Amino acid sequence: MAASSFSAAADAIVIASKIDTEGALLGNMMVMLLRAHGIAADNRLQLGPTQIVRQAMLAGLVDLYPEYTGNGAIFFARESDPAWHDAAQAYALVKQLDHDKNNITWLAAAPADNSWAIALRRDVAQAQRLTSLADFARYANSGGSVKLAASAEFVDSPGALPAFAKAYGFKLARGQLLTLIGGNTSATERAAAEAISGVNAAMAYTTDGALAVLQLQLLADDKHAQTVYQPAPVIRGSVLAQHPEIEGILDPVFRSLTLEHLQQLNAKIAAEGDAPAVVAAEYLRANGFLK
Amino acid sequence: MMPRNRVVFVLSLFAFAACIFAGFLTIAPNRLASGQSLTLWQLGGIPGAALTGACVALLALSFVPIARGVEYIVLGLAIAVFVFQLFAAGFLATGSLTSAPHGTRVSLGWAFWTTGFCLAMIAIDALQRLNAGTLARLAALAIIVAATALITSGGWFDGLSLMREYQTRQDEFAAALGRHCLLVAVAVFLAVIIGAPLGLYVARGPQRSAGTFGVLNMLQTIPSVALFGLLIAPLSALGIGGIGAVPAIIALVLYSLLPVVRNTEAGISGVDRGVIDAARGMGLTPAQILWRIELPLGMPIFLAGLRIVAVQAIGLAIVAALIGAGGLGSFVFQGIGQYATDLVLLGALPTIALALAADFILALLAGFFERSPS
Amino acid sequence: MIELDHISKNYGARDSVSDVSFKVEQGAFCAIVGPSGSGKSTTLRMINRLIEPSAGTIRINGEDVAALPLEALRRRIGYAIQSVGLFPHWNVADNIATVPRLLKWPEERVQQRIDELLALLQLDPAIRTKFPHQLSGGQQQRIGVARALAADPEVLLMDEPFGALDPITRETARTELSRIHKSTGKTILFVTHDIDEALGLADKIALLRNGRLVQFGPPIELLTRPADEFVRDFMGGSSLGLKLLALRQVRERMKPEPASGEPIAPETSLAEALSQMVLRRTSRLPVGGTGGSANGSIALSDLVG
Repeated sequence: MAASSFSAAADAIVIASKIDTEGALLGNMMVMLLRAHGIAADNRLQLGPTQIVRQAMLAGLVDLYPEYTGNGAIFFARESDPAWHDAAQAYALVKQLDHDKNNITWLAAAPADNSWAIALRRDVAQAQRLTSLADFARYANSGGSVKLAASAEFVDSPGALPAFAKAYGFKLARGQLLTLIGGNTSATERAAAEAISGVNAAMAYTTDGALAVLQLQLLADDKHAQTVYQPAPVIRGSVLAQHPEIEGILDPVFRSLTLEHLQQLNAKIAAEGDAPAVVAAEYLRANGFLK
Repeated sequence: MMPRNRVVFVLSLFAFAACIFAGFLTIAPNRLASGQSLTLWQLGGIPGAALTGACVALLALSFVPIARGVEYIVLGLAIAVFVFQLFAAGFLATGSLTSAPHGTRVSLGWAFWTTGFCLAMIAIDALQRLNAGTLARLAALAIIVAATALITSGGWFDGLSLMREYQTRQDEFAAALGRHCLLVAVAVFLAVIIGAPLGLYVARGPQRSAGTFGVLNMLQTIPSVALFGLLIAPLSALGIGGIGAVPAIIALVLYSLLPVVRNTEAGISGVDRGVIDAARGMGLTPAQILWRIELPLGMPIFLAGLRIVAVQAIGLAIVAALIGAGGLGSFVFQGIGQYATDLVLLGALPTIALALAADFILALLAGFFERSPS
Repeated sequence: MIELDHISKNYGARDSVSDVSFKVEQGAFCAIVGPSGSGKSTTLRMINRLIEPSAGTIRINGEDVAALPLEALRRRIGYAIQSVGLFPHWNVADNIATVPRLLKWPEERVQQRIDELLALLQLDPAIRTKFPHQLSGGQQQRIGVARALAADPEVLLMDEPFGALDPITRETARTELSRIHKSTGKTILFVTHDIDEALGLADKIALLRNGRLVQFGPPIELLTRPADEFVRDFMGGSSLGLKLLALRQVRERMKPEPASGEPIAPETSLAEALSQMVLRRTSRLPVGGTGGSANGSIALSDLVG
């Protein structure tokens, strides 16, 4: 697991991930699977934020890493395209764009949608019978007590809270927002779980492992206000040409990763503190992908 | 009745207050929740009484007239209590876990850090008052390091969340530590072999300093993350691979240049003009003057700059993790992302220890050259 | 023998030294004097080529210094400066041993030489292991001289070496230098702005003004036959006569007639004799031979000569 060389060995595939829990999970799965099938893999996980990893791939320094379909909107500067709100369309669009422009191939995506969401304290959700964002909008508009902890980016970015507000017809006043610098769902979720400063709702990602543990309930986005973010392996075309079997190895694994599975696996890493490699290995063995 | 040793008085008062009022350990049901803060007394038992008693003893000692014997007692007590506190933290943590559900996490609280800091300061103060030589300071440090190592290897720290974080990623930690040291070592080495000659060049012609320092000062003002990130694309275009490590080293070198150049120049220019004139007049060649006179005399100032550079680079290298260079920073950022404070500590504490070690070693080295002032 | 032959140095439009020529015989003590900015130090530093002349030649024993390898030349010449410039990170022994070691002397000879020099300068041998910052100003200056003499050079260049000392220490230093000069027979060129210092030590005086040599000759000549008014003023102006008295001794003017009182030694300067006359309120002093017996006297009128 220790990567001590500055640059990859000539024939090993460089596998990277972003500095986050899910990236570590998916990245470790990729490393183990490839090695189990006899393909040399260079572990460069937890490399950096999205832009760094993406740049590294475009520069040919990284061969394979897990990326989200919705990020295509930013990569190709097409934020206003409605295709991003539909899972199938988003996948097809980013696959075509990256293939045509950068010779980068998107392999099969996991059926989970890890997008921005609003999570509510379970006791409040149950007491008020709120399960979806439509319910939430009604509740907020009729004067229900709401205080949302979110990052500045979530509050201001047109694709985030403003998109929800527009789609569901609600508006949160300044006093109903607790804005944090830095975009950490861990921080916002903890704030809601512990009712810090009266917070009862939190900005979240749908696959966050903390949600169940911290007794938070996700509000369903029935109107697809959010961009879809499905995780999929992204590989350089030339590398795939040399190792076409990689597609067959990764496809079944990713297709098996439902939202529930991802939430459980993320919970093991975040809440119980198990090592991502261990959690990944357990899942792969339990489902027969690894001996 | 006024305390004779005001430093010890204030510090031991703080430590005492921390023992009574502040949380020593924080117990959380899982890694994500905030947890409940417990004071030494709530944790119960002998350790609490012993630690509080020791703080009171130190407080009392601050009223005793200052004498060498008293200072030895204070020093000994401070070191002993510091070590005991480490042990107590581990012991109490393990104790808290015995009947707790799986997944419970125990973290170190304010009282631990405060008393630890105060005790360390008391020990340093005692060493100062005793005019302790290098050997004595090394001995004190060695005792603490050895004790910590003993407690760790005996498994006494295993109850702490910090230790759990380490245990779930031991290989990763070793690799990160090694990578961190490598990044710093290579960067500092390059900064010296580029910066020292540059400093010499500037010292030989005072009119050169404005331009050189202008550029170097400007480099210092560029935010580190920006500089780290900016270098990836141009470097890969040149075919210099190495995700993150090479641009990280380049950025670290650029930040390290200013102190090296400035201190080399100051060291060389600071040599008494009369000494140089006498050396020339006596028939030493320019090379002999440089190697036998200017460099040895400039060494203390140069080493002072090297100390700054080393400590700065060790800290800056944390940011290198953001561009894939690895190092201890990867734990810091992972921990921030997961809101796992102990993971952040897993990255931050070794970094601080490294910086202190580098500072100590370089100060020792500078001491050898400081035999006679110019 | 040192010969300066039409030496000049200019820095752009400014002439620092213009057309200076004089000869210093082997074993002579030559003082280069003049007001500040007259080019004294510049002239001195052209001899060991710390400054290169713009024009003219300097010869040591007939050899043109410009033709000699630079460091080899300097290692043959002793150099002592006002700030002394001892190497602070070396102890006294290592400082003194600098040039001998550059010349690759065997270490035994080096150590012997250090002992010799410490004795010559009347310094406690224990001073060997001390560092410059542990020494007094006077001690440092003596070590500086020892260091300049270490490789036994024929020529010694000294640039205001006593300038940083207090008057009493300076007096001692002068006496010592005079003694060393007499016992070692070296050729010494000594820059100073203090005319009394020069008069006390020198065989020849070169007086510079604005980079030009105004007069060169023995002290008596500059006192009795000054070339112009500047020389006269510099040499003492109205107190010239008293300076002359300082240069001559009682034995040159004493007469056989007896006088009463405590005799003074024949080597006493005329100036001191005058001072004694004023103190004792007499116009005739007995002059003594050895053993306290008088063998003559000197009168006030003898002082005028």
